[in-house]
Amino acid sequence: MGLIKWDKTGHLDNLSHIQREMSELFDFLSSTPQAEGYTNVEYPPIIVSTNEENVFVRAELPGIKVSDLDVRVVNDILTIKGERKFTLDTAKVTYLRRERDYGTFARSLVLPEKVDAEKVTASYKNGVLTVRLPKAPESKPKQVIIKKS
Amino acid sequence: MEKKELPVVGKKKISSDRCVVTGKGNWYFPLSDIYETPDNFTILIDMPGVGSENINIELQDNELIVNGEISQEAYTDEKVIYNEYNIGHYHRHFVISDAINRDKIEAKMSDGILAIILSKAEHVKPRKIEVKAE
Repeated sequence: MGLIKWDKTGHLDNLSHIQREMSELFDFLSSTPQAEGYTNVEYPPIIVSTNEENVFVRAELPGIKVSDLDVRVVNDILTIKGERKFTLDTAKVTYLRRERDYGTFARSLVLPEKVDAEKVTASYKNGVLTVRLPKAPESKPKQVIIKKS
Repeated sequence: MEKKELPVVGKKKISSDRCVVTGKGNWYFPLSDIYETPDNFTILIDMPGVGSENINIELQDNELIVNGEISQEAYTDEKVIYNEYNIGHYHRHFVISDAINRDKIEAKMSDGILAIILSKAEHVKPRKIEVKAE
């Protein structure tokens, strides 16, 4: 038997082509769709970070009056509530494009560590809310002194 | 605390093949509204975390290019344990027509929202035509 000419339209090749198409389809079906808005998560999305002294919770909340924001700490639960108010008179303007959302929101989260609720502070700068929660004394790192016997 | 693996959602990332971006860090498309009044067009862009000093607006031919740079300095001493949104610079551009008076473009930044006010050129502003009685 001599050499068989490689034929792109051969049966085996067709099969591998179908296999490839199928695996691409499964990849497509199993991949999570990329969200383009905040619709799939709770609003506002947050970032929680810590250092030795504090826990920080940050949220991007552009265009909200500080008086329309309500930040509360009860035990180890932080609640951020607020409203992004729509201030334009829609009778006077014509919208050509609308991507930004307005409305009320509320979100609670369990804090990763015990905090001193009395000393919690919050600041709002350039549309970013930062809540600074000082850690309670019992959750701060303590150095253990080793006694030499 | 155990680190939770949740998909980071929200902003639409700009890939480098779609436009030329320079500088460190990721770039994102900010959300924007455009509305029209009898005298002008206003573009509102959400750019949380960007100060007015870090915004750069350029007009090149008929493209209005908006760049907002963000600082992540606040996070340098912190350990992020839970993350739901991406932080990055913002870029967006708009094509503007002859209906805009290019000498009268204003921009204001407040609480993370950039407002660009584009005045309409005189020839497109609504005019009332007087009807003469004979």
